[in-house]
Amino acid sequence: MTLLGSYLTLAAVLFCLGLYGVLTKRNAIVVLLSLELMLNAVNLNLVAFAKYGMIPSLTGHIFTLFTISVAAAEAAVGVAILIVFYRRRVTVNVDEFDELRR
Amino acid sequence: MATVFAAYAWLVPVLPLAAFALLTAFGRSLRTTGAWVAITASLGSLVLALLIAGERLAGAEDYSQSFDWLVFGTATLSIGIDVTNLTTLMMVIVTVVGFLVNVYSYGYMRDDERMTVFYAYVSLFLASMLGLVLADNLLMLYIFWELVGVCSFLLIGFWYYKPEARDAAKKAFIVTRVGDLGLLIAVLLLFWYMPGHALDFSSINNVFGNDGGTISAGVTTLIALLIFLGAVGKSGQFPLHVWLPDAMEGPTPISALIHAATMVAAGVFLVARTFVIFEASPAAMATVAAIGAFTAIFAATIALAQNDIKRVLAYSTVSQLGYMMLGLGVGSIVAGMFHLFTHAFFKALLFLAAGSVIHAVHTQDIREMGGLAGRMKTTAWTFGIGALALAGIPPLAGFWSKDAILAAALEQNPLLFVVGAVTAFLTALYMSRLFYMVFAGKPKDGSHAHESPAVMTVPLVVLAVLSVIAGFVETPWYGWFGEWLTGESAHHAGYLAMIVATAAGLLGLYLGWLIWQKGTIDGKALAARMPGLVRVLERKYYIDEFYDLVFVRSLRRLGHALRRFDAVVVDGVVWLAAATAQAVGRLNTRMQSGQLQGYLLAALFSVVILVLAVAGRRLW
Amino acid sequence: MLEAIPVLSLITWIPLAGALVTMLLPLRNARALRWVAGVFTAVPLILAALLYAEYKPVIGGGSYEEAYTWLTVPLNRDAAEGIASLELAFDYLMGVDGLSLPLVLLTGIVSMMALLASVHIRKRWKTFYVLFLILQTGMYGVFLTRDVVWFFIFFELTLIPAFFLIGIWGLEGREKAANRFLVYNGVGSALMLLAFLILVATAGFTATPGAGGDMLRFSGSYDVLLANLTGSGPQTSLASDPIFHLTDGMKWAAFVLLVIAFGIKLPMFPFHTWMLRVHAEAPPSIVMVHAGVLLKMGAYGLIRFAAQLFPDELRESATVLAVLGVTGILYGAVLAVVQKEFRLLLAYSSVSHMGIVLLGVASRNDIGLTGAVFQAVSHGLIAALLFLIVGSLYERTGTTRIDELGGLAKSVPFMSGILLTAGLATLGLPMLSGFWGEFLSFLGLFESMKVLTVFGVLGVLLSAAYMLRGVLAITFGPQSTRYDGIKEARFVEALPMVALTALIVLLGVYPSLLTDPMQQSFEPLVEAFKSGVGG
Repeated sequence: MTLLGSYLTLAAVLFCLGLYGVLTKRNAIVVLLSLELMLNAVNLNLVAFAKYGMIPSLTGHIFTLFTISVAAAEAAVGVAILIVFYRRRVTVNVDEFDELRR
Repeated sequence: MATVFAAYAWLVPVLPLAAFALLTAFGRSLRTTGAWVAITASLGSLVLALLIAGERLAGAEDYSQSFDWLVFGTATLSIGIDVTNLTTLMMVIVTVVGFLVNVYSYGYMRDDERMTVFYAYVSLFLASMLGLVLADNLLMLYIFWELVGVCSFLLIGFWYYKPEARDAAKKAFIVTRVGDLGLLIAVLLLFWYMPGHALDFSSINNVFGNDGGTISAGVTTLIALLIFLGAVGKSGQFPLHVWLPDAMEGPTPISALIHAATMVAAGVFLVARTFVIFEASPAAMATVAAIGAFTAIFAATIALAQNDIKRVLAYSTVSQLGYMMLGLGVGSIVAGMFHLFTHAFFKALLFLAAGSVIHAVHTQDIREMGGLAGRMKTTAWTFGIGALALAGIPPLAGFWSKDAILAAALEQNPLLFVVGAVTAFLTALYMSRLFYMVFAGKPKDGSHAHESPAVMTVPLVVLAVLSVIAGFVETPWYGWFGEWLTGESAHHAGYLAMIVATAAGLLGLYLGWLIWQKGTIDGKALAARMPGLVRVLERKYYIDEFYDLVFVRSLRRLGHALRRFDAVVVDGVVWLAAATAQAVGRLNTRMQSGQLQGYLLAALFSVVILVLAVAGRRLW
Repeated sequence: MLEAIPVLSLITWIPLAGALVTMLLPLRNARALRWVAGVFTAVPLILAALLYAEYKPVIGGGSYEEAYTWLTVPLNRDAAEGIASLELAFDYLMGVDGLSLPLVLLTGIVSMMALLASVHIRKRWKTFYVLFLILQTGMYGVFLTRDVVWFFIFFELTLIPAFFLIGIWGLEGREKAANRFLVYNGVGSALMLLAFLILVATAGFTATPGAGGDMLRFSGSYDVLLANLTGSGPQTSLASDPIFHLTDGMKWAAFVLLVIAFGIKLPMFPFHTWMLRVHAEAPPSIVMVHAGVLLKMGAYGLIRFAAQLFPDELRESATVLAVLGVTGILYGAVLAVVQKEFRLLLAYSSVSHMGIVLLGVASRNDIGLTGAVFQAVSHGLIAALLFLIVGSLYERTGTTRIDELGGLAKSVPFMSGILLTAGLATLGLPMLSGFWGEFLSFLGLFESMKVLTVFGVLGVLLSAAYMLRGVLAITFGPQSTRYDGIKEARFVEALPMVALTALIVLLGVYPSLLTDPMQQSFEPLVEAFKSGVGG
């Protein structure tokens, strides 16, 4: 297994863990955490390709920085919505997030 | 002599049209002034028509004038006027009766608050009728044909608040429209079969005068029969006669002008105008004669059993129009037009006199009248003259024209002659019944009838004079009228027809005198012995009921059935399509559970399937 | 004079500009808004009338043409021998000919009359006039554009304002009616779009020789389509190329799609049910526009696209079209006889009268085609007049049911007279415009299909039956005391009534006014019909 391969494997494992969390956890905060995990798996891929890929370049690194900052913003917005929602419904249970359906 | 006045013939219809326009635009502010405008306009038309007639009597040449109306790449529709002896004759009849009726109406309609509307309609009618008469092509004739129909409709329904008037107007329009459509289809046929798509009468004369030219015998017969269908509708011939008696709901001057003298005679005029087409088809001629003869005797029998003074006269009109058709159908254009000419005067006279009676006693039921001769001398005298003229008593006008028709029929077909003679007998019978029941006997209690004003009686006298003298233009010894009209001297069968006609008329009068005046024969007992026949005659052979059942009801039933069809089937298919779309949509809503993680899972599976599919394609 | 200015674009876009102005002006009261909208309605009407007066009939369109490049999409194509470029071009093309000109003027007249009739609108005036002006731009555009893509755009542009105008200002069942209108017409538009796609992708092809080889382009220009489809364009030389080849099957598909699409709009039996609800529920001024102009877009499209682009297909299916037309005439007439609601009676009467347009199209000669356009224009005027009166009566009596009305000639003689005139025009009385449309259509059709024409003529008899029944039941007879106090038409109502009546009489007495501009329009088409007889 090459060095790139091991990075990618790690990223895939991380991604699958995150995906499992997003799909199964009922607590919205845990879902958000799992989402971050998935994003980080992608970041890892980007950096790995930038370093060990066919055409190494700086683009991957820069893109990762972008992703991290966007993820931070997204987490902030997500948590803010969660807090508002908790105030209204006194729950953080994803199952009960069905406002749009009503 | 040169044609001086004929060049202004277009003014004859335009004058009443201008009166109509004036009355429609300023009708509300005019009252009696409006009537004077209309009367003046019709007088102008009359004078001009007489001048043209004088010019033609002196032997002026035919005059015609035509403009392109609608131009296509392949054909042209034109509009124009045609001044010939035939059209001049009709023009004179229409303007004379029109003017007299206009004057008469000034007295008759004086109390009606919509008098200007009345005069506007009458002016429009005169304009259309004169346009019809002068038209130089069949399309234009058809256009005015429809217009006189609509004027008749408007005037029948003049007292719009009476439900009977409304229904009669509607019936008149729709029933005559059946005939009009025949004429319309004839126009369509002629347009496509005539060389050069020509519709003018001179081309029609040229083409059909030469054995139909390129047009086959079958098509010629078809065209002739369709034109005749139009005439049947307008002239109240069987089986489309049902509208004419109902049309008596209109004001009486209108019955005289439109439903006795002019418009209903337009059918006869139409047949005379397109006579070459009929001459080219023996079958069509036979149909015209048969329908005419049948209508004549059929309507005369109904007239015997009616109790409404105007309805008796209406059925008499139907019968006399049948007479004219009979005359044309046996090949004598002179006899038909001659009877049209005399009939216009004495029938208008009878209607106007009847109007004078109705004006005085305020009822139309002859059983409630009687003994009016003493109080309404002028009316009684003039009505009597009209009745004698209609009954065909020599030497009044009706005698000569009826004699001409009977003579022509005798030459063609003895059966038609017999039918005509029986009709003449019946005519005299019902006219004597009418006269005796209205004017003779004791006056009814509580009646304060009085003679009508001079504005109404003067037209009566004028028409009475015309009813006496109009017949002398064409007698068996003096064929001036026929020569003038057709250019050929008419021939007569001798004295048999004349004797039979006179005898039939006198016999009818005598019988009527016996029954209704002297009482030698008890009419009531006679009627009691055959109640079935009387009821059938009173109900007019149940023809209205038959039409109602066969056409009106079945159409309505079809309509209701189609309405259900429209709602259930046509709309149902649409509804089904919409419902299917909705059902699919509802199914999809089920899947939108609102569970975010459920959606994600579905997305994940979809991606997996997609990847497998793409990868699978690569592998295979 | 008019050649110097882009008059067609002005006519089309001034109402839209008016909509913007109306939207931005800080006006709230109805009268002021009506004046503003009136000015922006009157200017195109005046321009259209001037155009009509100046127009000289010539084959192909004449001097009023506008063409601007609008949108070009370069297409990738593997480099081939002798091809310089390949592109998809959507141009802004405007033009007018004898077929569209009468309808343009009709649009102007009916819009103006509908604007006057909008005094009955009771709420949200600003939105109403904005939508009304947008609707006008759509209608003018449909008749004036010479590009199928723009035609589609304008066609859709009429749908949306009409939807809201029906749905917001209509009567009780307005929302359902608007819904039905949108769905049905949406389906029609979809079919039309499909047909246009087929046409642009095949017959819209032109090749211009250039410096670096041929410049190939696909466009929606009507003239290009016409040239290609009727066999004189470059398509003929490229018939061997399988990509551009227009098979008979595709032609038939496009033809049938167009007939159905415009048949829905017309409306043609059995696609008429949507129209009934619109007639019954929409506000009077909008029904005037709807029956007066919007339905005529169906007639126009049928002649412009289905007939002129596909003469061969039309010739082969003429009998089918004529049968559909006669069915529509009789079906609509029989149903009109039994209606109790006057507006529904008029709606079925429209179905019946639009069947006559189909007959004119099926006749395939210049008389019949002229008759079809005449019928479209004349019915536009008459329907507008009838619904104008119906609106005014409804305003006063609160009902238009035949059995609840009666004897109105006593208290409103003027309106009753106009109603009677309009009714007589509907049943084809000569000297009123309705006669010529019917007569010329029948006359044209009679050349080839005599028996069918006779059945069509029967419809005229039925039209007398239902129209007299409806009109006489409303105006004649004894008057119910309920309606003793109702008032005669106000000036603003009487003005359009008199104007429309005058136009109906004018066209009836002097039909050349309408037929002269059409003189040359149908000659190429009739030639195409004739030349195809052998092949």
